[in-house]
Amino acid sequence: MGISIKLDRVLLERGMSLTELSERVGVTIANLSILKTGKAKAIRFSTLEAICKELDCQPGDILFFDDGETSANAAE
Amino acid sequence: MRAIGKGSLASLLAVGLHFTRIILLAAFIGLSIAMVVVPLVSLFMSAFGAGDIGVDAGDYIEISHHFVTFSVMLFVANRLLEILKTLRFGSPFVGENADRFRGVGYALLIGEGAKVAFGFLTLFIDSSASINTSIITWLAIIAVFVLAEVFREGARMKEEQDLTV
Repeated sequence: MGISIKLDRVLLERGMSLTELSERVGVTIANLSILKTGKAKAIRFSTLEAICKELDCQPGDILFFDDGETSANAAE
Repeated sequence: MRAIGKGSLASLLAVGLHFTRIILLAAFIGLSIAMVVVPLVSLFMSAFGAGDIGVDAGDYIEISHHFVTFSVMLFVANRLLEILKTLRFGSPFVGENADRFRGVGYALLIGEGAKVAFGFLTLFIDSSASINTSIITWLAIIAVFVLAEVFREGARMKEEQDLTV
């Protein structure tokens, strides 16, 4: 529930590793792992901008809002 | 002056607190022994008709008061050393330190409360013992509790910052 991160899916689609993304955007692997595993409490616009630029995607491709009902409806 | 490391204020405070703790520990042990020995000696001497050692109720209250005071000071010194230890390791803004500050506040509150209670007791006995409390101490206790809450919020903000990508 809440905001979920689909970074691993986008990375898979682009065929890019987390290490490579880390080098390209200038964010440590540790921080990207925090983001990928959904442990992050906030994301800077600058980080989001850099990730979107490197992965050639929109913020909405990485961030999803799930209020619980969405996933329940999808299951039905 | 540097905040952490050799020659910093934190390390100087830690050295001072270590020495203070040794003195407080010695006083605490001495007073613990006195708390047990003085009444026993007085009891035995009066039981065997060997006279009186000249210790009245006021003296017992004073010993108890000092015992509580030194216990509180020892507790506070230990908590402050633990807080300084986290500062030396570079992570003072943790929830545990907020709990430690709150513990210091409660210890001071108990110490000052005991002081008031002992002072109240001296009113009912014929003694020269005089135990007073001060408004500044009560304000200091409130300040420690405020500091504990500020630390708790600081720890929460630090955690949030650490988890901001």
